[in-house]
Amino acid sequence: MPDGWCRSVSVGQDQLFAAKLFGLTGLGLLYNHSVMNISPHPSTRPSLDAIFAALADPTRRAILSRLTSGEASVNELAQPFEMSQPAVSKHLKVLERAGLVERETNKQRRLARLNAAPMADAVGWLEDFKQFWSTSFDQLDDLLEEMKMAPSEEPRDE
Amino acid sequence: MSDLPTYILEREFNAPRELVWKTWTDPKLLARWYGPNVETIVHRLDVKPGGLWLNEMKWGENSNYQRVEYTEVVAPERLVWLHSNCDADWNISTNPMMADWPRVLLTTVTFNQVGEQTKMRLTWVPHEASDAEIACFGEAIAGMDKGWGAGMELLAGLLAELQDEK
Repeated sequence: MPDGWCRSVSVGQDQLFAAKLFGLTGLGLLYNHSVMNISPHPSTRPSLDAIFAALADPTRRAILSRLTSGEASVNELAQPFEMSQPAVSKHLKVLERAGLVERETNKQRRLARLNAAPMADAVGWLEDFKQFWSTSFDQLDDLLEEMKMAPSEEPRDE
Repeated sequence: MSDLPTYILEREFNAPRELVWKTWTDPKLLARWYGPNVETIVHRLDVKPGGLWLNEMKWGENSNYQRVEYTEVVAPERLVWLHSNCDADWNISTNPMMADWPRVLLTTVTFNQVGEQTKMRLTWVPHEASDAEIACFGEAIAGMDKGWGAGMELLAGLLAELQDEK
């Protein structure tokens, strides 16, 4: 596993970005959102497959990154990538199918804009599971330290 | 081993194995660490093959329930169980938000003492899962394994920026 042994420092960062990812401030809420099935989005959602496939490509991630600073036309998106407009259009189609990007349908420039909601779902799911255990294990670390320091306080009714 | 997608989480604890084992099998101790920043209520804990752990996690007005059925218990080195989310009556529930997420995950935890420390390894495998469930879980793992550590940070930044704009 690339994760190797978890360290509390990296777990802390994970929590921070996961909390940011969901726009929530606490892991309790994070858990609430994801595992308690309180869906903030309508029911039509793209498949997990489509989202992961869309995000697997660095150019597409860069396009998403660009779109965080606002809507953009295909022409504007193509410039930093030294890529033809048709190539960028192709990437945009993949992102659109995954529900990560929306495009204006009735205007000439067809500006693309970011739709982050399905992205948060897909990347957050297994990560949440990991977060859940990692945070619990941090708490277990503390408990074990406590038990080692004061063995007399351990419950005896095991 | 099976070909099923397996997620692995490893962790090292600075404590002897017997002590770590105790924290997983004593309900009072388990309630003290299990669940991130929530109140954990262990309704039942019967750590033996076929035994159940019925767990409630509370925060504010909300509760979330998990049902665990142990299938293998080898003190102090190995715990295997079937892990599911469930309703307040302890019936296994599906996940409406991600319908293909596996309903039951076979969870295996092993404890390996190395010197003064205990190396713990936790694995999840979809249990008696449909093809769609297996695919969903496999994709999620693949997403994490493909360097998503860095990808996640990028996404977190993206979303934070997006929210600032709103």
